[in-house]
Amino acid sequence: MNSNGAIRIGFYICHCGTNIAGVIDVDAVAAYAASLPGVVLSRDYKYMCSDPGQDLIAQDIREQGLNRIVVASCSPLLHERTFRGAVERGGLNPFLVHMVNIREHGSWVHEDGGLATTKAMDLVRAAVRRVVHHIPLERSRVPVHPDVLVVGGGIAGIHAALTLAAAGKKVTLVEREPSIGGHMAQFDKTFPTLDCAACILTPKMTAVKAHPNITLWTYSEVTAVKGSVGNFTVTVKRKPRYIREDLCVGCLECIDACIYKDGKFADEFNLGLSKRKPIYVPFPQAVPAVPVVDPEHCVHLKTGKCKDLCVQICAERNAFDFDQQPEFIDITVGAVILATGFTTFDAKRIPYYGYGVYPNVYTALEAERLVNASGPTGGEIVLPDGRAPASVAIVHCVGSRDADYNRWCSRVCCMYSLKLAHLIQEHTKAEIYNFYIDMRSAGKSMEEFYNRVSEEGVHLIRGRVADIYPETANGKDGHIGRVIVQAEDTLIGRIRKIPVDMVILSVGLQPQDDAEDVRRMFNISCSAGGFFLERHPKLAPVNTFTDGIYLAGACQGPKDIPDAVAQAGAAAAEALALIDAGFVELEPNTAYVMEEECSGCKSCIPLCPYSAISFAEDVLKATINAVLCKGCGTCVASCPSASIRQHLFEDAQIFSEIEGLLTHA
Amino acid sequence: MLATEEAVEQMWGVTLDRLYDSEEGRRILSCIQCGTCAGTCPHGEHMQYPPRRIITMLKAGLIEEVFASDSLVMCVNCYACQSKCPRNIRLTEILLPLVKEQTIVRLPQMPPELQKAVENSYRYGNSQGESARKRALWTKTATVPIRILADDPRPVDALWFVESDLAFHPRGQDVARATARVFDALGADFAILGNEERTAGDCGRLSWEPGLSEALIDYTMSILKKYEFRRIVVSDPHAFDAFKYRYPMFGFDETVESTVSYVHRDLEKIRPRLKKRLEYTVTYHDSCCLGRHNKLFEEPRELLLAIPGIRLVEMVHTRENGLCCGGGGGGMWLDTYYKARGIERLSDRRVREALDTGADVLAIACPYEISRFEDAVKVAGAEGRLRVRDIMELLVESFGDA
Repeated sequence: MNSNGAIRIGFYICHCGTNIAGVIDVDAVAAYAASLPGVVLSRDYKYMCSDPGQDLIAQDIREQGLNRIVVASCSPLLHERTFRGAVERGGLNPFLVHMVNIREHGSWVHEDGGLATTKAMDLVRAAVRRVVHHIPLERSRVPVHPDVLVVGGGIAGIHAALTLAAAGKKVTLVEREPSIGGHMAQFDKTFPTLDCAACILTPKMTAVKAHPNITLWTYSEVTAVKGSVGNFTVTVKRKPRYIREDLCVGCLECIDACIYKDGKFADEFNLGLSKRKPIYVPFPQAVPAVPVVDPEHCVHLKTGKCKDLCVQICAERNAFDFDQQPEFIDITVGAVILATGFTTFDAKRIPYYGYGVYPNVYTALEAERLVNASGPTGGEIVLPDGRAPASVAIVHCVGSRDADYNRWCSRVCCMYSLKLAHLIQEHTKAEIYNFYIDMRSAGKSMEEFYNRVSEEGVHLIRGRVADIYPETANGKDGHIGRVIVQAEDTLIGRIRKIPVDMVILSVGLQPQDDAEDVRRMFNISCSAGGFFLERHPKLAPVNTFTDGIYLAGACQGPKDIPDAVAQAGAAAAEALALIDAGFVELEPNTAYVMEEECSGCKSCIPLCPYSAISFAEDVLKATINAVLCKGCGTCVASCPSASIRQHLFEDAQIFSEIEGLLTHA
Repeated sequence: MLATEEAVEQMWGVTLDRLYDSEEGRRILSCIQCGTCAGTCPHGEHMQYPPRRIITMLKAGLIEEVFASDSLVMCVNCYACQSKCPRNIRLTEILLPLVKEQTIVRLPQMPPELQKAVENSYRYGNSQGESARKRALWTKTATVPIRILADDPRPVDALWFVESDLAFHPRGQDVARATARVFDALGADFAILGNEERTAGDCGRLSWEPGLSEALIDYTMSILKKYEFRRIVVSDPHAFDAFKYRYPMFGFDETVESTVSYVHRDLEKIRPRLKKRLEYTVTYHDSCCLGRHNKLFEEPRELLLAIPGIRLVEMVHTRENGLCCGGGGGGMWLDTYYKARGIERLSDRRVREALDTGADVLAIACPYEISRFEDAVKVAGAEGRLRVRDIMELLVESFGDA
C-alpha cells in the first residue's frame, strides 16, 4: 500500500456501549467527519476495540485503499496499541493512525451532550488535519540485560528472587537490614492456618543464601538508578558490618566474647522489648548468619580502646575488619522488582490510646514478639511486672480507616487481631476482648478462622475504642495497674468500660518512611496514601508506569502473606517475560537533531531529564541517543535554533492540529 | 479536627432538611457507625440517642423520635466526638446543634435554670441577671487603670472583651483584675467596652436559642462599630469561639485573640516580672473551646512553666483528650436537671482526676471553670488541698508585689 499518494482517510467513531454514545451524538460526529477534506470513509461502531471493530479497519484499508486512519474513542493509553495493530494488519505503517479521546476528555467529563458533541467534532477535525502529515516510522529494538535486581528481602522479595533464580536468571537481592526475612520473620504464627511463620519462612531464606543464581546483599541500600528498561545501572551502598561475610562461618562466638556480658542496647528486631550487645545477629535464624557491629555502641569503634575479645576469639578465621568503609557498587540489570514493604502506624500519634504512656499498652507487632518462642520473653505473655494478664483488649483499626491518620483499611489487621486473640488465649487463658468496627475476613479460609476464634469464646465487641485510661495507679512495687478500655458496644447501644491488664493496638500498615525517596529514585508514581502506584489497578497490578520496574508485596498497598507471595510471583513472571523476549521495542516518538542546523551550543544537554543527549566532539553537534530518549520534548522546545525535531510531534503535525482546533465549524 | 471558617460558613443557616446540600453536611452519610462519638462523649452513657444513633435515626427517617427524647440536653458542646470522629463528621459544629434546637423546643418544660439564664441574657445581656450598669464596677477595685471606651473613645490596640463571668462573678472579678495587671505589665494599650458590653453568645448558639444568639451578635457588632481597635482580646473561651466562628457569618472580620495567646506572644516582656517562686504542683485543665476546638494546648502550659517554681503535672485526660467541666452547651445551667436524673457532674469527675495527680493547684483559663471546680473541690472535701486558679492569677501572684 502506497501511503504517500493521495490522502485517503478512514474515520471510525466508537460508541463504547453507552460510555460515549450515551452522551455524544456519534452519528452526527461520523456524518461531520465524512464532510472533512481527505476523509473518504466514516463509520461508527459499538465497540471499535473488539475484534470485529479492528477487522473493520484492517479490511477497509485493504478494500478502500485507505492510507490514514483516525479513531475517535477512548484514551490512547488504553487502545493506541490496539489500533496500531489493526492498522498494521491492514497493511499500513502503524504510525499512520491517530486517536481522538472523546471518552475521558468528552463523554465522561461533560454533562451537556450537545456541547460534548461539538467538542468531539472539533477534536476530530484537528486529528484529521494532523494525520495528513503523519509519516511511516519504524520501531527500534534494544537488547535487554538478563539480570534482575530485587529491592527488599521480605517474603515478597524473597519469593520473587527465588522464582527468577529457578528460571535460571541471575538475581541480586538487596536488603537494608542485616538479615532478610522482613516483617514475616517477626511474626509468631500466621493466619488463618496458624503455621509457624519461621517454619515456613526460614527454608526460603536459606534457599536464597544457597542459590547459585542469587547474589544476596544485606545491610545494603540502592543509592542511585540510571538508564531505562533493559539496561538499568544501579548503585548499591554496602554498609560496613565490620565482619567479612566471606570469612565468617556464623559460629557467633564473637557475640559471647564481647566485653558487654549482657545486652545493653534496644534490640530493633524485638522492637526494644529486649536488649542486645553492640555485636549481634538480629534473630537466631538470620540470613546471612553473620553478626553485625553497631558502630554507635561498639567500644572499639567508638574509642579505639577495647580488649577486642571478639577479634581474639575469631583469630583462626580472622573475619573482623574494623577498617571497613561503605562500599558503592554499580550493577547492570534489565529489570527491577521493588519489594520494599511497609511500616506500621506509629500508635503514639493517637494520644487517647496511651501508647508510650501506659506500660501495658502494646502494639500488635510487639505482641507478635511476646508470643514468639524466640522473643524477648521466650513466648510467655507477661506484663512488665512479670505477671500474666488475666484480661487483654485488642483494639482494631488503630491508624486505619481514619481521616485524621490513614484513610485506608489496612486489610490484615482484623485477621491478625483474631490470630493474636487465639494465641494469647491459648497461652494465658485470659479473657480477650476484640474491639472492632467491621470484621473484615475476606479471602480463602478467613471467615472460617473468624468463626473458629468466635467459638473459642473471644469477646467480640463492635465499637471503635474511644478512650483508654488507668483504672488505678501503678503500684510503687512495680505492679502495673489495669487500664479501662472505653467504647460504645454499638450492637447493644451501651458504653462499655472494660478494665484489662493488657491492651494490644492493632496498628495499620503504611508506606515506608522513605517510600517517597525510593519512588523518586526509580522514577515511579505513588497512590494518594504514598504506596507505590501500579500501572493499572486491575489489569497491570505489578507493573509501574516505568517499563522494566515491577512491584511486589506491601509496598504497593497493604496485603497479607498469600497475596504478597502471589504478587511476587506475578512480578517475577513479568520480569521473565521482558528478559526472555531479549529485546524491547522502543516507541519511535523520539527527538532527533537536524545536524546541519545545530549550532553546537550545548544548551539542550543539561535539560534532558534522561541524559539522552551528548555532544559529538568530532562534528561539534548535539546527538540524541534514541534508546534513552523518552520523547518528552523538552529539548525540542528549548533549542534556540529549532534544530531538534521529534517524531510524531513534527511542527507540521502539531500546527495542523492546532489550526484544526481553532477553525471552529 | 480544627474548625475551618469554610466549614462553619457552610453550616450557618443549614437546616436538617438541607443538611446534605453542603459537602460538610454530606459527610454525615459517610458515618461507619463505629461508636467513637458515643464512646468518648462524657454523657454518652446517659443518652438514649448518642451521636452515632442520631445519624442512623436521621438516615432511617426517624429523627422525630430523637427530638422527643432529651438525649441532646446532655450535650455539653465539648467537641470530643467531633475531634475523634474517623470520618471527620462535624458533629459539634453542624449536626448536634440542629438536633439540640429541636429537642429543646419540644421539651415539655424548659429546665428552669436554663430558662432563667436565657431570659437574663435577653433582658440584661448577661446570664447572671445582673444590672447592665454594674458590669464595669469591678474596675473600681482594679490596681491598674482600665480605660472604658465609652468615656475615652480614642483608638486602641487591644479591645479587651471581658465577658459576663469575669465582670460579675466574684471569683471572675479576681481573674479580671489579674488579667488587667498582666496586660498592664505587658505595656499593652487596652480598653474595655464597660457597661456597653453584653454577653457575646457562647460557642454553641447560646445554648440553642439561635434567635437570642443572633440578637446578641447584632448588638455586639453594632457597639464594636463605634470604636477603632486593632484586635479583640477575649478572656472567655466560649466568647472567643463565638467571635472566631459565629460572628464572621454576620460580616465580622476583626482579628480575634484569646487572652492566653495574647499574653503568650509577649511572654518575654513579662518574664522579668515573674520573680516570686511559686512552689506549686499545678495541673492544667484544657477548656474545650480553647483546647480541642482551637488547639491552644501548648501556650497555656508555657505560661505556667514561665513561673519559677511551678511543677506541671498532667491529668489522665489531657489536651485533645481533655475532659469537659460540664459547663458548655448550656450545661452551666443544667446541673439541677442532670442531678435529678442521677447524672454525676462532670466537674466532680474532673476534680477527682486533678486530685489524683497530687497537684495543689488546678490551673484553668476559662471563667466557667472557676465556679464549677471550686464547688466540686468542696464536694470532694478537698478544700485547702486543691486550689483553683486562673493562669492570669498565677502570673500576678508570681509578680510578688500585690
